Formats: sequence, structure tokens, C-alpha cells
Amino acid sequence: MTNEEIRELIQIVTDTGVAELEVQRGDNRVRIRRSFGLSGSDEGRVNEILVPGPAGASPAPAAAPALKAETPPAQSEPELIYAKSPIVGTFYEAASPDTPPFVRIGEHVTPGKILCIIESMKLMNEIEADVAGIIESKLVQNGQPVEYGEALFGIRPV
Amino acid sequence: MICACKDLGIPTVAVYSEADRHSLPVRFADQAICIGPAKSARSYLDIPSIISAAEITHVDAIHPGYGFLSENAGFAEVCRVSGIKFIGPTPEVIAAMGIKERARAIMQQHGVPILPGSEGALSSTEEALETAERIGYPVILKASAGGGGRGMRVVNHPGELPGLLTQAQQEAGAAFSSADVYLEKYVGAPRHIEFQILADEHGNVEILGERDCSIQRRHQKLLEESPSPALRPEVRERVTAKLREAIRAIGYSNAGTVEFLMDEKGDLHFIEVNARIQVEHPVTEAVTGIDLVKAQIRIAGGEKLADILGGPVQFRGHAIECRINAENPETFTPSPGRITGLNLPGGVGIRVDTHAYQDGVIPPYYDSLVAKLIAHGRDRAEAIQRMKRALDLFVVEGIHTSIPLHKRILNEPDFVAGHFDTNFIKRWMP
Repeated sequence: MTNEEIRELIQIVTDTGVAELEVQRGDNRVRIRRSFGLSGSDEGRVNEILVPGPAGASPAPAAAPALKAETPPAQSEPELIYAKSPIVGTFYEAASPDTPPFVRIGEHVTPGKILCIIESMKLMNEIEADVAGIIESKLVQNGQPVEYGEALFGIRPV
Repeated sequence: MICACKDLGIPTVAVYSEADRHSLPVRFADQAICIGPAKSARSYLDIPSIISAAEITHVDAIHPGYGFLSENAGFAEVCRVSGIKFIGPTPEVIAAMGIKERARAIMQQHGVPILPGSEGALSSTEEALETAERIGYPVILKASAGGGGRGMRVVNHPGELPGLLTQAQQEAGAAFSSADVYLEKYVGAPRHIEFQILADEHGNVEILGERDCSIQRRHQKLLEESPSPALRPEVRERVTAKLREAIRAIGYSNAGTVEFLMDEKGDLHFIEVNARIQVEHPVTEAVTGIDLVKAQIRIAGGEKLADILGGPVQFRGHAIECRINAENPETFTPSPGRITGLNLPGGVGIRVDTHAYQDGVIPPYYDSLVAKLIAHGRDRAEAIQRMKRALDLFVVEGIHTSIPLHKRILNEPDFVAGHFDTNFIKRWMP
């Protein structure tokens, strides 16, 4: 990764207000994190750039995604609600590889509608919507590991 | 743990609750996974969340630390079944050590001195009265399945025994997995002496000296030191030899601590085995030069003790640890909050282990321990001198800490003279 590319990534973080950006290209991985004060102020500074050394030194978790962005609610459209993962596990958009995804962008959902499955310790947990609205964004990829509280879908309530 | 793994070149994953998102371990681990909200039951005690996090990050082993799930045999079993190495003893040994009067019986079999008491859990009030009569009052009733003062009652004469036995059993049943209570001779002004044990998975055991943890308030340790100023060399040798055999016979592996009570005559009596690494392990690391957490990891990796220790254990000098807690030094009320000013002491012979940092927030949900301050010197006098210097240079602003209390302890003539027991703190504060 060249300095120019890194500078570009920093610019993206600053311009868009994204909280954390991690990019992996081959053996290179860059994580840029904006720091937010605990007072909740979203006037942050780009203050942490981690560029691990050559491949041997950095851990390479098999399931790490190529690009993972977390958008803090305060920075986005005020009405958007994020469906967050209530558990740690692996995200699946469909019940099985052969079946269609539970929801698509633009689809209207009501409380109780199954949005996805999060697999934890070999158990498939169905994650339900708890608001009525339109699915506006999908923030995770099929097969991606997710942590507690991770934003899965952006839903615009209606 | 992160330090030991960095030394060994092992990548780390920190699991954390939302309250610890901005903590130092989360920052310094190679990866971090949020496993739940602040409430421990839904995060640090939530076995499925932890195992799930272990699975998605493909870890080889889990170090349970101390507290939380570190002595939970069920958790160790789940790790085993899930193909994740639990860094500690086997589930069977953890379970066995958790049944207090069983551990007592095993120790007794191997010649480790125990306090006179009942043969196992008390089955009736009559048995309790007979046993108490035989060994002599005062006696103490203790819960078999737990500690921390719960299910514990001191009985001074036979008239009160039946009532207190019922109370102890009810309290034990409510707090722990069983209502079983056993009975022991009560020592009024004991010292708390504990031995650090290290065992590999090939049957080799080493005892790494003792720690004197008598400076306590309400069963919570405030200060620990090694060696104990009160332990006679011949008692140390005798108990160490018997303990080594008993621990080997139990099939113990990895690190652990064996707690003893020292009576007024200076004799030791076995109390219990803590099947985990303890908070005060840096005291032993200072006098032996052995990195215990690193040793734990290497033992879990199948290495032999001889290779890990690299020769006979050498004891050098004297070490003291002060547990710096986020609490009011006089009222002991917890003092969580944001740290606005921080200066950590340094200099020769000083070690600080802390998760505190400038502008960091100490959350209200967990233990109040903020820092461990360890001083090592060529003898007890030098260790005390260095500890005093370090306490003078330790600045924490924004929250209350027990630093003033520790300064007071270090200046008490009785402490300096080595004359103290577990009632030391009680003598000048509640």
C-alpha cells in the first residue's frame, strides 16, 4: 500500500465521518479509527493508524472481511434505525446457500420479520426486526463474523 | 496476558463488554470482540458468547484470567469439547478443588496439615455438636461450595451452634451450588499464608514459595508480600515437601495457589486450593524471576516444567504488592469515574500493572482494582522503602484511590516489624 493510497483513505475517513475503516489488500492491512470523546461529541480527529508489518507478524483471521465500515448513528440521517446483532457469531443472509436472502434492500419489514441468521456455537439464531420500515442498507456480508452490538441493517422506519 | 503473549509471539483476541470498549486490553490485543452489555452475566459470564467469539476468531486457547469463569469447571469442560485449550487445570481437578472438604481430605491423606474439623459435610446437628465438642470451641462453620464469607459462621459455644448451622446452610444454599457446610477449628487471629504452585501436564510439580496476605479488610486482600516475615524455615520446608506430593497426587496441572492459615504458634493449616492464577502473582514473579502467565501458556502448550523454569527455583530478595483500588480510602465506597490526572511511579525495583490511563474511565460495573503496585528489594526493609517512594510518586486524580490507606499501612510500626495478622486493618478501621 502506497503512502498516496493511505492518504486517500485518511481523506475518506475525514470527509465521510466514518468512525472506523479497515482495508486489507493482500498482506497489507490498514485500520484507521476516528476517536470520539466519551462525552459523545462526534467532533473527532483521525488519530490512529495501524499498519502491521509483513505478513508473518500480523494475524490473519480467516473470516476478516475486505472492508468493514461502522457508521455511528449520530452522523447518519436522523431517522435511520440500525438492527444490531444481539449475540456474537457468524452472519448469514439466507437460511441456506440455496435459498434466497431473508430480506432485500428496499423491502418493507414489520416487527417479527426475520432479517437474517446469526450462527453461534452451531446454533442458528433467527434475528427479527423490531421496527416496521424499509431496509435501506446491509452493513455486513454473508459469512462475516459479527460481534455483540454490530450494526447489521439500516432500516428507515415508516 | 497480552504481555506474555507478545513475548511469546502469540496473537491475542480480547473479548469485552460494552463498558470496556475503550479499555487498554481492547486497544493492545491484536483483535477485540464485543461480547455483550456491561452486565457481567450477559458478557464476561456468558459462556456461549465467549465460545462464539473464540470460534469466529479461530483461537487455539483461552486464558480465563481470575474471577469470572476462571474456576468454572463447566466452562473448562465446554472449552475442551469445543476443541479450545483452557489454560488452567482440567475440569475434573477444578471441580474437585471446588468442593472444599474434599480438598481437605486429599491434603490430609498426603500429610499436609489441616485444621481439626468435621469429616466432610455435616449431616446433622448432632454430628456438628459432637465434632465441636471434640475439637474445642470456638469453631467455624463454612460452606463447602463457596467462599467470600458467605455460609460462614463462628460458633463460640454449643448453645448457639444449632441456630448458626441452619443459617450457614441456608446462606450457602442460596449463594452456591450446594447447602453443604463443614466445620473447622476457628483461629481468632490468623495470618493468611498461601503457596504458589506450578505443574506441567506431565506430572511435574514445583512450589514457588509463599505469600503473606494477612493485610485484609473484610476478606479482601489489600497488600501481599513474599516471603512471609512470620514463616519459620523448617515449617516452610516441611509443608512445601508434603504439598508437592499432594498436588502431584491430585493430578493438578498449570498454575494454582494453596491457601493456609497460620495460627498463633506459627503452624500452618490447609484451607483451600484456588485453581487459577491469582491477582497477587506478581509478588512471586518478583522474588523468583519467573513469568507465571507465560509459564501457564507454555504448560498449556505441553512443555515440561524443567524447560520452562530452566533450573532450580531461586528466591531473591523481598517483594510487596499494594492493590490500588478505586475507592474512598476512609469510607471504602467505590469511586468509579474519569481519571483526569495520572502519574505512574517507576524507578528501581518498581512494577505497575494497570488498566488505567489519562482520560480513561473506570466503569462502575466491575471490581474496583485499578492498579497493582509491586516493589522488590534485596530485603524487606528495602522493599518497604521502595514501596513508600512509589506511593509518593503515584498520582491519580479524578477518582479516589486507596493510596493514602496503603501509605498508612506502610508506616505502621507493627507492619514494619512484621507483627500483624488478618485483624490488622480492623484494629484501626471498620
